[in-house]
Amino acid sequence: MDSSPRVEINESTQRASAAPFQVRGRFFTAIVLQMARAPDAAFFDAVDTMLAQTPHFYANAPFVLDLDHAEDIGPSFDFIGLAREMRNRKITLIGVQNGTIEQNKAALHAGLITLPSGTDVLPESRKPPAAPKDEPKPKPDKPGDGNRNPNESGAKEPRVRQAPVTSSTGAALLVTEPVRSGQQIFAERGDLVVVASVSPGAELIARGNIHVYGTLRGRALAGVHGDSAARIFCETLDAELIAIAGLYKLSDAIDPSLRGRRVQAFLDNGTLCVESLR
Amino acid sequence: MAKVIVITSGKGGVGKTTSTASLGAGLALRGKKTVVIDFDVGLRNLDMVMGCERRVVFDFINVIQGDAKIKQALITDRRLENLSVLPTSQTRDKDALTREGVEKVINELRSEFDYILCDSPAGIERGAHLAMYFADEAVVVTNPEVSSVRDSDRVLGLLSSKTRRAEKGEAPVKNHLLLTRYDPVRVAKGEMLKVEDVLEILSIPLLGIVPESPTVLSASNVGTPVVLNQASNAGAAYADAVSRLMGVQTEMRVLGLERRGLLQRLLWRTA
Repeated sequence: MDSSPRVEINESTQRASAAPFQVRGRFFTAIVLQMARAPDAAFFDAVDTMLAQTPHFYANAPFVLDLDHAEDIGPSFDFIGLAREMRNRKITLIGVQNGTIEQNKAALHAGLITLPSGTDVLPESRKPPAAPKDEPKPKPDKPGDGNRNPNESGAKEPRVRQAPVTSSTGAALLVTEPVRSGQQIFAERGDLVVVASVSPGAELIARGNIHVYGTLRGRALAGVHGDSAARIFCETLDAELIAIAGLYKLSDAIDPSLRGRRVQAFLDNGTLCVESLR
Repeated sequence: MAKVIVITSGKGGVGKTTSTASLGAGLALRGKKTVVIDFDVGLRNLDMVMGCERRVVFDFINVIQGDAKIKQALITDRRLENLSVLPTSQTRDKDALTREGVEKVINELRSEFDYILCDSPAGIERGAHLAMYFADEAVVVTNPEVSSVRDSDRVLGLLSSKTRRAEKGEAPVKNHLLLTRYDPVRVAKGEMLKVEDVLEILSIPLLGIVPESPTVLSASNVGTPVVLNQASNAGAAYADAVSRLMGVQTEMRVLGLERRGLLQRLLWRTA
């Protein structure tokens, strides 16, 4: 998801004499390891196997540990040691997500950052006013000693908080010009509607749904903040890649009979489905 | 008021310089005072295609850096008195171009000429960016093949965002598609993209279709823009494109050319 056209970079170097730096937003793709439990010998074996298969793919990529299911990682867990072990394998841990307060504290102590998991990111302005100020940001309280039922408040809470966002997505971004190769359009607040064609090499990114009333030949990434209810609709499908909430399909993986059709793409139980609209 | 037109493509080798030479000569033939500027600093080609490389004393970069007056660097064509060439430097590189310098030169030329054609280098870096920055119109030169179309599309995106008109929020740069090296036989065999396919992706108005022709290369080699050879199909196609660039409605001839592909082919062969 890296963007910034080269021309822009040239400009910034031109102006470099005036200001020591410029602040630019940028999106990076991080790799999330969903931990089933605290890492043991089998974990490192599995990591080694993964690296042996595609050694270059993971080099220099930022890694995030998802601790949602790793309840046995306690407050005294040695994140520093784990980061060192991973570093030896040329894997760089940058942070954790879905951790308990204790897990987050231990991770912070080890120099890792705590990242909000996809579903519970909310822009400040959109936060329900009722939400108590002192609520811990990434996740509400949950027992740090394990034995947590995933269906209880901890897992449910984000979805409840998500609801007002989907209902109040008034901030759709409308594009009426063709989206050219190399252009990237990001609807950071809601849906993205394109009433033109999207060329190969162009990229559409939206927090919510993506609608293309034209031919979609480039890439479309909906629900990039983790909204798995987001969908992609297009008048004519010829996409290079479609993705919803981080799950993606390359053109090769899309049923060839859907090419050139009116389709929608959505997530069904964690599977990215593409089906024709009648 | 002079019109500044950039001839650009993104991809190299599609015929930007050849097209600049022919469009420039074509406009001059119709009595328009025209100057062609070579922005491809370090790879000086336009003066060769125009047949004036032996007359280059001062160049575009000398003018930008204040070492020469614009009158000293401009070369008037020996065949067409309305046509001038502003050659570029062979010894410098694109970093010698500055936005202020280019603006100054273009503003000076505006009072003298009706058309200022900027021959862009390939790529989307500094040289290409400055060639398009001050443009009022753009001729996007494209070959009927996928990588050329993709690069043209990228360039169209830059024309709509990285030009002075875009930055000042003025009327957008007017784009024209010039399809070059078009071979109807290979299109019929499916080896080349059809005109409709290219138009569907790029969705900008068609300025002309220049057929693949051996006369283009031989004209470049002797330094005569192919538009001056009216017996050549490519020359005739460029002459049509010049009419359209001047706003003369010859749109139907293009469509006819495409629809009567076979007949056209026969006519081209006997030409």
